[in-house]
Amino acid sequence: MKVEAIEYGDRKVYSVGAFNRGIASWLQRLPTVWVEGEVTELRRSDRWASVFFTLKDPQDGSCLGVSIARGQFDALRLELSDGDRVHAFGRPELFEARGEFRLRALSLERFGLGDHLAALERLKAKLAAEGLFAADRKRPLPLLPTRIGLVTGNDAAAKRDVLTAVTTRFPPANVLVAETYVQGPRAAGAVIEALRALCREGVDVLVVARGGGSFEDLLPFSDERLVRAIAECPVPVVSAVGHEQDTPLCDLAADVRASTPSVAGRLVVPDLAQLLERLDRSRAGLERGTRRSLERERRQLDGTHERLGRAPRLLLERRRAKVEQAGARLRALSPRSTLERGYAIVRAGDGIVRSPEAVEPGEHVDVEVAEGSFGARVEERT
Amino acid sequence: MTFEEAQKELEGIVQRLESGEAPLDEALKLWERGEELYRFCKERLDTAEGKIEELASRAQATKP
Repeated sequence: MKVEAIEYGDRKVYSVGAFNRGIASWLQRLPTVWVEGEVTELRRSDRWASVFFTLKDPQDGSCLGVSIARGQFDALRLELSDGDRVHAFGRPELFEARGEFRLRALSLERFGLGDHLAALERLKAKLAAEGLFAADRKRPLPLLPTRIGLVTGNDAAAKRDVLTAVTTRFPPANVLVAETYVQGPRAAGAVIEALRALCREGVDVLVVARGGGSFEDLLPFSDERLVRAIAECPVPVVSAVGHEQDTPLCDLAADVRASTPSVAGRLVVPDLAQLLERLDRSRAGLERGTRRSLERERRQLDGTHERLGRAPRLLLERRRAKVEQAGARLRALSPRSTLERGYAIVRAGDGIVRSPEAVEPGEHVDVEVAEGSFGARVEERT
Repeated sequence: MTFEEAQKELEGIVQRLESGEAPLDEALKLWERGEELYRFCKERLDTAEGKIEELASRAQATKP
């Protein structure tokens, strides 16, 4: 299509209509595509030939106006409402009268369960690759939290379950509750806002609790922004969303995953009775342990004392043994032992007879043997 | 000092004492420290006062 321009000297100038027509015809050459987004601001009137709505990108909030023939829209019977996710098939178009760019949809499809599942798996793989669910990111829960933050819906059941479990185990617990949307298009943002508000209030552990629901009901808890917010939370987070088999992505990003709100409640506080018992046992141990040291030192002292008492007698015994030994040796050396072997000592006058010349025949001598002595007379000298 | 730290130190002291290996001087010092830790932990539990508050959620208050 040829677009006419007016010429002012060497300047070519287009009228607005001509410009729009030119752009419109250029846009018409673009191919048809599928676009995904959330439906907002749906406007339909029986007086209009087209139905209008805005497609919103849930990630960054980008918007795109869409129009679709009313007959076509009605025939699809989609019963769309705000926040519903759709795939729109069409091509870009310029509404020439107003110079407004939009997507002219030829067909619309509601984003189905299969699409949700596929998107969820893709997101899960992406976040897992970033290490958001890694075990080494998990932080331990404080043993005795000073203030517990609870994010929950106003549906009461999940909130009541957490509070009951917490106060049963640990009656003096401090819990700050933030009630918020837990389903629908606003839920993810609202939960993130609640988490931040609780963190600002200085809680040292957070519980996100929501009862079971349909797959779609729990989708906000797999929203990328919420999952990231939980992973980046400055305090540990316990996630108890849906039932055991649901596993929304926020459960994987949380520091601890609880199968139910009650379990989450039991996880964040210690058992007060048990804690007091343990403390008392420790105290008893203090006294018992110190006494044990005392006993040991006393026993050692007693032992030393006993040894001290035994020392002089021991010394005496040892001396006595030495004397006995000397006596024995002395006896071994005395002449008596010689007599015992059968020898005799002969005395004449006042000396011991050692030679025959010392006596005369007929002289009286004394003979001493082992068991006594007797007198004798010398017969002859040989 | 957090409750956990105090409780951990207390239990460590009890273990050392119960081994009976600490010399008497040390044992008495440990006992004293242990009692101090016990009082700290007990006080933390005794003064804890239960409170359940509701945070006025701005997200909900400003909903369109």
